[in-house]
Amino acid sequence: MKYAFYPGCVSRGGCPELYPSAVKVADKLGIELDELKSVGCTGAGVLPQNITDPINARTFAKAEQLGLPIMTICSTCTGVMAQANYRLKEDPNYRDKINREFLADEGLEYKGTTEVKHLLWVLFEDYGIERLQTLIRRPLKGLKVSPFYGCYLRRPPEAITPTKELNRRKAYLDELIGILGAEMADISGKGKCCGFPILSANEENSLAMVAKHTGESKEKGADFMVTPCPLCHLNLDGNQARAEAQTGKEIDLPILHLPQFVGLALGFDPSEMNLKRHIVSTTDVESKVNMIS
Amino acid sequence: MEVTYKVYRKDPEKDGKPGRANYAVDLLEGATVLDGLLKIRDEMDSSLAFRASCLRGNCGDCMVRINGGSRLTCVARVSAFTQKGPEISLDPLRNVPVIKDLVFDWDAFMWNKIKAIKPWLEAQEASSNGENIIPDAELKEVRKVMSCYHCGMCDEGCTVLPVDFHFLGPAALTKAYRFVFDPRDKETKERFKTLEGPKGIWDCVHCYEADEHCPRNLEPTKRIVALRDRAFQLGITNEKVARHHNSFAASVKESGWLDEGRLAVESEGLTNISGLMKLLPIAAKALMKGKAPIPYMHSKRPDADKIKKIFEKAEREEK
Repeated sequence: MKYAFYPGCVSRGGCPELYPSAVKVADKLGIELDELKSVGCTGAGVLPQNITDPINARTFAKAEQLGLPIMTICSTCTGVMAQANYRLKEDPNYRDKINREFLADEGLEYKGTTEVKHLLWVLFEDYGIERLQTLIRRPLKGLKVSPFYGCYLRRPPEAITPTKELNRRKAYLDELIGILGAEMADISGKGKCCGFPILSANEENSLAMVAKHTGESKEKGADFMVTPCPLCHLNLDGNQARAEAQTGKEIDLPILHLPQFVGLALGFDPSEMNLKRHIVSTTDVESKVNMIS
Repeated sequence: MEVTYKVYRKDPEKDGKPGRANYAVDLLEGATVLDGLLKIRDEMDSSLAFRASCLRGNCGDCMVRINGGSRLTCVARVSAFTQKGPEISLDPLRNVPVIKDLVFDWDAFMWNKIKAIKPWLEAQEASSNGENIIPDAELKEVRKVMSCYHCGMCDEGCTVLPVDFHFLGPAALTKAYRFVFDPRDKETKERFKTLEGPKGIWDCVHCYEADEHCPRNLEPTKRIVALRDRAFQLGITNEKVARHHNSFAASVKESGWLDEGRLAVESEGLTNISGLMKLLPIAAKALMKGKAPIPYMHSKRPDADKIKKIFEKAEREEK
């Protein structure tokens, strides 16, 4: 099982704990990663489509040359690329135009065959949950976990959940919590926005969203929240103290990346998953995890 | 079938305190939620207040929350909401001023916001023969959006409105799209002054919840994204957002990917001392954890020059 790996900017920038954790987990699972190094940023929903569609088409063409589907570890990268890919696959005239005007100079052509998948989808759709279960060395019993998807991994339907079968993607993280032996602390905003996209434009609203989601999770008794999106992590973990200051309410909820969560269940030591690099202390989570083993 | 309606009640002429009243209603199979409400008002409690107008899912007037989710009562079948048991809860929308029972303040919820975006066409001067002929294809998307009947379900689903009721919201911004992208309208720049102002397009988190809620599939989020892309092409006038977007664009153009440290400082503004000071505690914490990206210490991606070429060509084409 092999993928063209698109790690995204944040997994080595603002969340440098994510990239090595994901690589270790993939290695343990036997998922081979061929990293796409000479491709550009997706645009993250910030840059306009007329600029990012050609840049993303170039990424898809590179993966197509390798004959591999793309695997990401970021909901935002997945969402932006899946939307661009939908437009390029759906409209051959548009794809031809992008190929002709932007990719032909390099001798590249995107034929429209590349799939874009988040690690979370890979686990359920390609790797297989039964196979994953055979590798669990430390069922995370006694830990209460809230899911937080990152809105780009939920919508829009034509790109993210295009069939009835794939509508299950909206529940993968919920299911995974039980599969890894933990207990779910469900929250109403698990599929909503974390507030990160408006951190610059409207900090107050952005921090209010952080407080809403993490506060609800804490009230439900969660030990931590897990997210497949490092941008959500930047806001929910990195800005949680500011959200606390804004609302005057203590929250103190650790936020784990998806690969860290899977890695702990696979038997990795918390230090191997770089939990110490988080802004909100993960000491209590580590103690509970170590007590299991 | 007998169903218990658990209805939110609030009467400002009495104590004004919110409560809930239960009504056991006998309904025919296939009855709508509105059928039950009408029966309650006609036969059991004439003081119950709710709205309804067209009775066929075309006007949006009867929107309430049924079992927590926003629905039009005139087209919602009772049987679809009683699968777990013979009772349904009815509430007014979240975060809106309630006038009485299920009747809430539509002006505050949506109409005042639609008024704020100047919902009429400011037509260009007619050509010498008195006509402005627009090719049909140019109006295709605009016409689609014109079929919005202002039910407000997109606003009800919006992620931002629960934390900021003054955000213009997807309904009003979709209305703005209808005029900005109408080739007959001459007010684009004026319109963007409002749209790029506080509570406008840049406060949208583009989470696509509104699209999931729209009963006519008008894709309000995609309309807001189109407005933002148009603002980018015209030159963003909201200074803070412009700093953020321009830094992001420069970083991708120069190196192929994002220099997050640079984005953080340039978004605040390199001469904005108080803004940069605000970043210090966060940067210090991140540094201690070994995770603060250092601005401008960012390596280029292999092939960055090729990505730059694509970026610049796309920019030239949009002009």
